[in-house]
Amino acid sequence: MTYTAQETVRVGLEQGLHMVPCSLIVRTAERFSCEIQIQKEDRSADAKAILDLLTLSAENGNELVLEARGAEADEAVKALARLFESNFDDPAAGSQPVTGSDR
Amino acid sequence: MQVKRGIAVSPGVVTGEVVVLGTEDFRIPQRFVSIDAVETELGRFRSTLEAVWEEIEENERLAREQLGDQFGAIFGAHLQMARDPKLIAEIEGLISEKSLSPEYASSRVLRRFARDLQNLGNQYHAERAVDIFDLEKRILRHLLGERREELLNLRAPVIVLAHNLTPSETANLDREFVMGFATEVGGHTSHTAILAGALEIPAVVGLGHFLSDVSGGEMVIIDGNHGEVILEPDDETLAKYRDLEERVHSVTERLASLKTLPAETLDGESITLLGNIEFPEEAEVCRERGAQGIGLYRTEFLYLEQNRIPSEEDHFEAYRKVIAADPDRQVTIRTLDIGADKMPETMGDLAPDVVNPQLGLRSVRLSLHNIPLFKKQLRAILRAAVHGDVRVMFPLVSNLLELRQARMILGDVMDDLEEQQVPFRRDVQVGIMIEVPAAVMLAEEFAREVDFFSIGTNDLIQYTLAVDRTDPSVADLYRSGDPSILRLIRKVVSAAAKHDVAVTVCGQMSSDPVFISLLVGMGIRQFSSTPHAIPEIKEVIRNLTIEHAEQIAAHALTLDLARDVENYLRGELHRICPDLML
Repeated sequence: MTYTAQETVRVGLEQGLHMVPCSLIVRTAERFSCEIQIQKEDRSADAKAILDLLTLSAENGNELVLEARGAEADEAVKALARLFESNFDDPAAGSQPVTGSDR
Repeated sequence: MQVKRGIAVSPGVVTGEVVVLGTEDFRIPQRFVSIDAVETELGRFRSTLEAVWEEIEENERLAREQLGDQFGAIFGAHLQMARDPKLIAEIEGLISEKSLSPEYASSRVLRRFARDLQNLGNQYHAERAVDIFDLEKRILRHLLGERREELLNLRAPVIVLAHNLTPSETANLDREFVMGFATEVGGHTSHTAILAGALEIPAVVGLGHFLSDVSGGEMVIIDGNHGEVILEPDDETLAKYRDLEERVHSVTERLASLKTLPAETLDGESITLLGNIEFPEEAEVCRERGAQGIGLYRTEFLYLEQNRIPSEEDHFEAYRKVIAADPDRQVTIRTLDIGADKMPETMGDLAPDVVNPQLGLRSVRLSLHNIPLFKKQLRAILRAAVHGDVRVMFPLVSNLLELRQARMILGDVMDDLEEQQVPFRRDVQVGIMIEVPAAVMLAEEFAREVDFFSIGTNDLIQYTLAVDRTDPSVADLYRSGDPSILRLIRKVVSAAAKHDVAVTVCGQMSSDPVFISLLVGMGIRQFSSTPHAIPEIKEVIRNLTIEHAEQIAAHALTLDLARDVENYLRGELHRICPDLML
């Protein structure tokens, strides 16, 4: 049986899980070779697939379950949990939603 | 299979493959590839993906440099979308397992993702759909590569779907290959709708958002009789519509046989049936359908088809062509009837901020505002009159001063031509469109100063009921059968009769068999309709007596709701011509 790591997190962003945080999740998840899923209620999304994450439509206050399966599962889950805890405060990418139409 | 409802603007039923017109004309060349080509196509898709990734990375770099990290992040997210493993797997799956072309597969999968996002019901996600369309365009652009130029030329019959088709775009559709079309916006008397009628192809407009559910190459059914568009029909529906197409075809053939028969009531009263045209080429179609002349030549397409103001010679050539199609019959030429906002580049400054184009500087007002432009058209009309029975008609006349000014300029033009010894005719008939309520109220005064009236029901209804005829949200308020409209028409007919002025009804109402008995009963003896409607109208007339028509009109005028009028008239039509209600 493959090793599974799990952790529950909460979305602390007013706009919910919009494009940029999803983008950060993917970037982080891609560093690990294990399979990573993020669950909201009964729906599950592949943490390495941005479109999946977007359609999860996670809003402010939602509880999500992070689950990683395989090599480095613990590290993967920890890294992602940290993103949520810091409310995706990554100075390099910014955590404010920028609408595509502002081009 | 999805059924979408819109406004039927041109009847008929057609089945075919779709071309979606966007801001760039991406024509997906084919839906399937042969089994042996699958490996090559997969390879082509993968190299396209790599090119797309490079392109987006470059965009990201530039955006970060020039605009800041936040904007770069957008492209970063786009890149992740383009690398989304599920997306790629799904597209490649369709190529390898279903032999779909990379273009069709990409478009389908991406549009589905877009739709899923839009269905999440919140603004933010709906806007992300825009990002997906962006990605779709990028991928298609790479896949189609140099083949893009040829794609603007259709080579097989297709059905065109678009957000909107401007009159110019519609005018430039290759008529040999467009079997039908549907748009997201538009009302039933918009120029696009009028053109569909002119092209005699089924068309539905005002469908609302539906393009994100469609990919190029898909099968679609346009039902121009019921205003429905059916996406990816199942076999049963497809068969049913193909059958309907055949039945419609045979009724059309029967009606065509009426061509040589006169438009006369059962008791021998002659009704003149004329045709409405936008392009000179349609004059021939009118003749073939049995029209006794052109009752309305909408000349604005001369201005919309090109990027510059048409010259006097452009006008003259077009008018000559129309006359040549049937030299012994009348041709009524209506002068410019659009607003400055729709004119080619050079006229844009005349109407910088048009808030209400329907009520603004347009039609005869525009002509009076730009006399050299007006004179160009009038000169061409008078010169063309040498070759046939040409009549001049001024649109949107709302007061007597406008009419008198227009006539004065016409007189000046005649003097100029005479001085220059250019052949022309002085004795052309001059008339006006009655489409503004003010003109109806002054019909008697106008009748003293013109040779004929043409009731433009489209705009008359619009201005009287205060309903934008191109706005789908108020489409059901726009009713030809409104009691107010009937009373206005009655007033015009009575005023015209006092001064021996001929009255024609042009506009949608005269192309609809439902209203013919009513109008005849109110005293109308001339109709100018879309050519394809002429046989149907003739059929109605040949089954009417004047007495019956007058009874119908009298009863209709006692009803106080548009709905009741229309239901009553439909019932009467069914009694008179059961066959026509398809």
